[in-house]
Amino acid sequence: MNRKLIVIAFLFLSVQMFSHGNLSERILIKTIEILENPNNYRLYYERGFLYQQHVDYEEALADYVKSESLGNSNKDLKLRMAEIHYLTEDYCNALAQIEIYLDVDSIDVIAKKLEAKILFKLKAYEKSIKAYRYVMNNMIDVRPEDILEYANIILAENNKNYEGALDVIEFGLQELGPNTLSLQLKKLEFLKEFGQVENAIEQYNYFILQYKRKEFWYYKKAKYLSEIDKPFEAKIALKLATSAIANLDSKYQHMTSIIELKDQIKNLESLNNQKL
Amino acid sequence: MIKKSVLLLLILSTTLSFSQTASNQVAIEELNAAINYVNLPKETNSIAVERGPYLQSGTPTSVVVKWRTDVGTESVVNYGTQLSSLSKNETNTTLTTEHEVTVSGLEPNTKYYFNIGNKSKVLSESVSGDMYIITAPTAGTKQFVRAWILGDAGTANNNQRNVRDAYYKYVDAASENTGKTDMMLFLGDNAYSTGTDVEYQNAFFDIYDDMFKKSVAWSCLGNHDGKTADSAKQSGPYYDIFTFPTAAEAGGTASGTEAYYSFDYANIHFIILDSHHTSRDIGGAMYNWTQTDIQNTTQDWIVTLFHHPIYTKGSHDSDTEDRLIEMRNNFMPMMEDNGVDLILNGHSHSYERSYFLNGHYGFANTFNPDEITSGGHTVGATGSGDGKAEGDGIYQKTNETTEGAVYITTGSAGKISGGDLDHQAMSVSLNKLGSCVMEVEDDGLGGQNLTVKFIRENDKVDDYFTINKKGIALKSKAVTHKSDVLSYNSDNGLVSIIVNTNERLKKVKFYNNIGKKVKKSRKAVVDVAKMTKGTYVVEIITNKNTYTESVIIE
Repeated sequence: MNRKLIVIAFLFLSVQMFSHGNLSERILIKTIEILENPNNYRLYYERGFLYQQHVDYEEALADYVKSESLGNSNKDLKLRMAEIHYLTEDYCNALAQIEIYLDVDSIDVIAKKLEAKILFKLKAYEKSIKAYRYVMNNMIDVRPEDILEYANIILAENNKNYEGALDVIEFGLQELGPNTLSLQLKKLEFLKEFGQVENAIEQYNYFILQYKRKEFWYYKKAKYLSEIDKPFEAKIALKLATSAIANLDSKYQHMTSIIELKDQIKNLESLNNQKL
Repeated sequence: MIKKSVLLLLILSTTLSFSQTASNQVAIEELNAAINYVNLPKETNSIAVERGPYLQSGTPTSVVVKWRTDVGTESVVNYGTQLSSLSKNETNTTLTTEHEVTVSGLEPNTKYYFNIGNKSKVLSESVSGDMYIITAPTAGTKQFVRAWILGDAGTANNNQRNVRDAYYKYVDAASENTGKTDMMLFLGDNAYSTGTDVEYQNAFFDIYDDMFKKSVAWSCLGNHDGKTADSAKQSGPYYDIFTFPTAAEAGGTASGTEAYYSFDYANIHFIILDSHHTSRDIGGAMYNWTQTDIQNTTQDWIVTLFHHPIYTKGSHDSDTEDRLIEMRNNFMPMMEDNGVDLILNGHSHSYERSYFLNGHYGFANTFNPDEITSGGHTVGATGSGDGKAEGDGIYQKTNETTEGAVYITTGSAGKISGGDLDHQAMSVSLNKLGSCVMEVEDDGLGGQNLTVKFIRENDKVDDYFTINKKGIALKSKAVTHKSDVLSYNSDNGLVSIIVNTNERLKKVKFYNNIGKKVKKSRKAVVDVAKMTKGTYVVEIITNKNTYTESVIIE
């Protein structure tokens, strides 16, 4: 008993000395609870999750394993263990754990999404696509990040399947709104990567027409046009960029981002003029 | 069916129990409310409003009104500019307990009284006129704005109530714009400990009910909200309770998600980020969206809010916790480069307010209070001071000097949790309960002051500072339509080409804003009156040279 008290006192002093926010304090409190109830698997699970939030993955996994050894058979433990293995890039063990979870609950979209991500890391692309398709079809509200991830997995499976990847982006735009920025940006990236020059230029034009401030888009378009050997078109875009900056409110003209953009325009003009 | 006497006993018992921890005043209010409730004439099929109404996603022309009933029924919002004549209505005939009605077609900057109900009757109203919508001003409008800022409020205890009441007293006693709260800004952790629906009822709706009926509430996701809210699915209490713009309905850029979004109010642009669930990586979806959004705004002020603080040595430590470090390292350089003025965070249960900063992304011990031109991290002659007019002087931004932002960690609207509170970048660090109020108003010299005050639970203002911006809304200069080779007269719609006497004009070509050639001419005077308004590049080709000019056709 005295030993316990000494340990508790030490832990209290430690938290005072090395406290890194209330997560540390909550871990300490949970540690004290564990000292009082060393065979309670729930407490190890709870402390493991606190460690996980604190990005102490090794300690988190140790607590999860201990919790399991003490009889915790809750499926959520498997999900947490899978997450830890995934975060520590131990993808084989992550897959093993998530499969146990999905054997119990095969319709959980969160678990299914994690499975898709693990399979992607293991380069089991077809299985990953299948899992992600389930997520897409069953998720209540899809986020842009989900669409982007799904499109990337499709390309990883077949790097020529740009139609499939673009279809996913279009699906996302239908679901989330036609102007969803991150999806429109990804569409541009794909069009460029797949050499769809005219469509890529149209996509730049979409941004130019869509946004109030156009200077950054003019410059980005000019850079692309110059890269694909359309120096005259690049010159026009650069002129438009300069004009757009000149017509900004004074405060914007003096912002660091615009000062840097002016330098970039100048450099690109210099390079592009050599091609004219 | 519970008998009235049993219900009364239950309520009395609850109230008595509650009074052991709450103030007597609160207990009496609860008891009165309970007695009034019990004495209300009851219909066997009566429908009660259990939550709300509360206002969401306010724009210059619309607002979302939400409420909850105990029984499924239609949704009706009656509204009008006169309390005595709520002659307009929006109706949804679908039977539901979770009501969400978008009232649209409104005039900007206009007060509309409203009540809610179903097709048969009014279920909630204010005969004294305390239920109203004031639509947002048109973006860019320069006027007084007041925002109430609450971080980590959701304890549902007397701390939270005292902080609330202190603000209510403040705003009711304000010498100008008395009683006016344009918006509420919640910095996350709105309902402890896991953001469940019941916890939201206790710590959010039951606490701020009066204000929710007349002021639009905005929020970012806190880690405690995130325990039951699932950003991956945008589901759970947080996402169910709030309705935020995903398609730039309130200005800004379409994010496609309620996890992060933006809106305009008057001449202020607000950027709300999710520092908890969403990837904070440079090049990630939220980063790309933020960069595009901030580089697209033309508003005079830029305010951002997210839960995890950039700088803190309170109950959290911005030197050791990953989310805090990532937001600081990844987002702040880009946001500072694009003119952010004010950063509002919670998470640490304290009040920590910075100097006027730029470019400090390292640990606390790397902070240098020198001015940025001397290699430090503060901006301007007053940047390392307290930001007070009667102290070291207010912080200053001009059209030429656009750097400088104040970072506030204000997470003590419900509890305080101490910590070392010694972050070097902070001008003030207090382990005190309170909330903040941000007020933007004219400085009388053609600019505006943005002042933030920290209002303690004991009604005292323990800190404040002011950022002044000069020359707000002044255009840089008249658009130049004249150069050595081109002049444009918008009155007659003519573009005149001037070439040197030793040159002969061969051709003039006009390219529109997407680089498409839309007009060509061989004449020195070109009629552009019928051309679409916008920016054009004009290529002027002579027998000796090619000139490229830009012109804005108005």
